[in-house]
Amino acid sequence: MPSIRLLHIEKSYSRSAPKAVEDLNLEIEDGDFLCLLGPSGCGKTTTLRMLAGLEDPTAGDIQIGDRMIVSVSGGICVPAEKRGLGLVFQSYALWPHMTVRENVEFGLKLHNMPRDERHAVADEVMSKLAIVQYADRYPNQLSGGQQQRVALARMLALKPDIILLDEPLSNLDAKLRLEMRAELKRIHREFGATIVFVTHDQWEAMTLASKIAVMSAGELQQLGTPDDIYQRPANRFVAEFVGSLPINVIALSGAEKATPLQAWMASVLVELGSPVNVECVGFRPEALKLSHCDAAASSQDLPDRLGTIIDILPTGGNWIIELSVDGEQIFAITGSAPDFASGDTIRLGLQARDLHLFDADGTRINDVQPVLTQV
Amino acid sequence: MVSKTGKPLRAPVRAMSPRVSSGTLHYWFRTKASDPTSLLALGLLVLFLYLIAGPIFLLLSDALRVHFPEQGRTGLPQGAFTSYYLERAMFSPISQAVFWRPLANTAQIAVGAIVVSLVVGAPLGWLLSRTNLPGKRWYSTALIVPYMLPSWTFALAWTTLFSNRTTGGTPSWMESFGFSPPDWLAYGQFPITMILALHYTPFVILLFGNALRQFDAQLEDAARIMGAGRLTIARKIVLPLMLPSLVSACTLIFAKALGDFGVAYILGVPINYNVLATSLFRAISTSQAGMTAVLAGTIVLFGVLSILIDMRLLREAGRFQTIGSKGAMDRTTDLGKWGVAASGWAMFVFIVSAAIPLMALALTTVMIRPGVFTPDNFTLAYWIGSDLGTTALRQGILLTPEFWRATWNSLWIVGSASLGAGFLGLLVGIAVVRAPMRSAGMMLRQITFLPYLVPGIAFAAAYLSMFAVPRGPLPALYGTYMILILAILADQMPFASRAGISAMMQLGKDPEEAARIVGAGWWKRLTAIVIPIQKGALVAGVMLPFISGIKGLSLVVVLAVPGTDLLTTYAIRLVDNGYTQASNAVVLMICLIAFFGTIGVQRLTKSKLSDGLGGK
Ligand SMILES: Nc1ncnc2c1ncn2[C@@H]1O[C@H](COP(=O)(O)OP(=O)(O)OP(=O)(O)O)[C@@H](O)[C@H]1O
Ligand SMILES: [Mg+2]
Repeated sequence: MPSIRLLHIEKSYSRSAPKAVEDLNLEIEDGDFLCLLGPSGCGKTTTLRMLAGLEDPTAGDIQIGDRMIVSVSGGICVPAEKRGLGLVFQSYALWPHMTVRENVEFGLKLHNMPRDERHAVADEVMSKLAIVQYADRYPNQLSGGQQQRVALARMLALKPDIILLDEPLSNLDAKLRLEMRAELKRIHREFGATIVFVTHDQWEAMTLASKIAVMSAGELQQLGTPDDIYQRPANRFVAEFVGSLPINVIALSGAEKATPLQAWMASVLVELGSPVNVECVGFRPEALKLSHCDAAASSQDLPDRLGTIIDILPTGGNWIIELSVDGEQIFAITGSAPDFASGDTIRLGLQARDLHLFDADGTRINDVQPVLTQV
Repeated sequence: MVSKTGKPLRAPVRAMSPRVSSGTLHYWFRTKASDPTSLLALGLLVLFLYLIAGPIFLLLSDALRVHFPEQGRTGLPQGAFTSYYLERAMFSPISQAVFWRPLANTAQIAVGAIVVSLVVGAPLGWLLSRTNLPGKRWYSTALIVPYMLPSWTFALAWTTLFSNRTTGGTPSWMESFGFSPPDWLAYGQFPITMILALHYTPFVILLFGNALRQFDAQLEDAARIMGAGRLTIARKIVLPLMLPSLVSACTLIFAKALGDFGVAYILGVPINYNVLATSLFRAISTSQAGMTAVLAGTIVLFGVLSILIDMRLLREAGRFQTIGSKGAMDRTTDLGKWGVAASGWAMFVFIVSAAIPLMALALTTVMIRPGVFTPDNFTLAYWIGSDLGTTALRQGILLTPEFWRATWNSLWIVGSASLGAGFLGLLVGIAVVRAPMRSAGMMLRQITFLPYLVPGIAFAAAYLSMFAVPRGPLPALYGTYMILILAILADQMPFASRAGISAMMQLGKDPEEAARIVGAGWWKRLTAIVIPIQKGALVAGVMLPFISGIKGLSLVVVLAVPGTDLLTTYAIRLVDNGYTQASNAVVLMICLIAFFGTIGVQRLTKSKLSDGLGGK
């Protein structure tokens, strides 16, 4: 089964507008469940549509396996109908004038599959997705979730090697979303297909994907496993975009006099051996270790700092803690009920491996660990 | 090589630099030019250049070229540039008769029709949209009837009721009642103005009523809260915001009245009262190509001007964007004890503008002497009798072969033209909305809109100048069915392509793209996805041109010959020969087809007639 390679892909819709996708290089390996993740308008849909053949790149090449399907400079462009990919639209795009069965069988018919075989295949897919009982209904007689399944069935009936999904869950309610998420995982397992999935919901991406490609403003920011993306964000954008609670980022320069947090980070960096070029330091809310101020700090830890609890917000299973460090606000989060109350003064600790250092361009400088071991 | 950051991917060194190469050109061709939709757009462009732009261009250029008969008088060879026809129309001894007086008459009639229809229609529009007028639903269909029927139907009814001895022929009802209508009442400006006014009143009712309906009641409320009285609100808030829709109705009526041929032909020509359209008709029937072009050009010029004014006003109206916002709702005024009076007024308008004319037409067909209500005066002979005393038309109309031939001609000629227009309209929609080449789509949209600016009779003149001689792949078409089909088709393209474009705009690309993904090629997508989904729009796109084609006169009156008569031209021929009862019978049949056709389409498409109006 094929891998997909996008090489220097660029797309501009009009000469005046900024490029929707710029110099995108992406390799999707066989069997990957890849999520394209990014804020609205960053070019995810455009990328997916270029893969599907519904949009033509203005520069670059796309390869599937060893087949070149797009090459702008080489004059190659395989039309969408000949690419044999599966695509599910955000709007489902069911054909309103066909019944569910006709929708599912349409593609098979185009491939000249005999009637009986067609029926059998359609029945199989429809029963897998539990829509067999709606076979004779028209799309407008189905609920959103059922339509979603029909759209999936229509795509799966053709057994594509590569499945493209554009925010397929965004129109569903929370419960259905959970169900469909499981469904997609199952499809990925059972059909063994390569899946490219667009979403702007990072939680969805984290739970589903084997790899995530984070995009911003038409450019790829990072490609990696969910773990990579979360633990080792390649730049400040990724660090700030990923995470349900925003990451704490402290810029080191800017103010005339160092603020309390800046001062703290400066002392932390000294401990780390003063790596050069560090422009800002980030750490996730859960990386902040809170302890009573009389408890002793462990020897592994970096210099700590005292802070005051302003508020504790329970969010069902997690507790978001709003803190003030001499008037500067930061957030922490804990998974167990904290035994502090608002107004308490507590000790804030950090560990070197939880720190993310970025240079002036926002690029991640290095992993902190090696620096520390040098010390 | 990933921009800035991220896991670098090693891209293979590319063989070609990214500057424009033959490969890039090839790519452009693959993705844009060889898209069948582009080819479709280009094909349609060529077709309509030939069927629409060509004839109009030729017609207009005819005004400035020497024609064969004038070679001697101008001393120039045929085809040379000349201002002879312009000068002849405007400054010669005959210019008063052929140009200036018809122009003045046209202007007076148009302005008169506008004023009367505004005065009658605007209050009705308000009654139907913003009050609890008793019988509102019924009125909103009944008051539109005059617009569903051809305008010249009412001219026939008028002659049936009011004609006098000036033109002779069958006596009118008034004469039978022992009253001889004066000429000003029987013919010419007054009746023509009144008939056009009543015919276009529904226009005002619909446009003004719609605008009022969309008017945001919150704006009224806001003013009321600030203490404004009802009259102040109407004058200072509602009226200024409604002005665009009123002016738009005016310009549209003006454009339509300009090209209306039938009414003036029936009520004006017998006493030598001409408007531009009838003057043009005479120029055509006396084969004066140059004069035809000048007169047609004048009509087109005024038509274009009024449409441009209308578009401009609509654009300005769009700038307000107060109408149709979220808070818009139906707020009805309680008429209270005035309800009965208002209802009476609406009923009066209905009776005058629809009931009386239609009754008069219908009754006349079963009366030997029109308007004489004695039992022995009634007969079905004009429908199904034989051995009538008349010279040419010896049987009742239903037994006359010419009638059936004309009916059949109407059905199949207009039918094929509408089928063609409907399908081409959808194809234009596809090309305009989907073709990657925007400019081709733009041009297509504009060319198919052109006939809208050219009133029927001028468009017919254009067709004569284009197809009376062999041009392009077609032989000379005058006197054939083909010229009728092509002319009706082309004339209906503005509506057909508008319907097609809006249908395709609403469709969205998704269904087609979904079909692409499962492997459907262009043709398959067209036949298995687009056309079936657009079935409803397609039916409307065929039926609306069909109805308007069936009742249309001014276009075909120039192009049909006795052998290719349609119902409308057949009716006019009967009028010319003074067969009052027979012509009324034919007109009634046309009315029936038009009326039930319109109602049928509305049912079928769940649309309102009003949706098809408006100047865009
Ligand atoms: N057909 C189009 N014509 C012109 N510009 C477009 C078109 N489609 C997308 N764009 C622009 O390209 C950029 C990327 O759009 P795209 O739809 O790929 O974003 P996205 O990442 O899918 O966003 P979302 O999460 O909102 O769906 C946007 O700036 C958008 O405005
Ligand atoms: Mg998108």
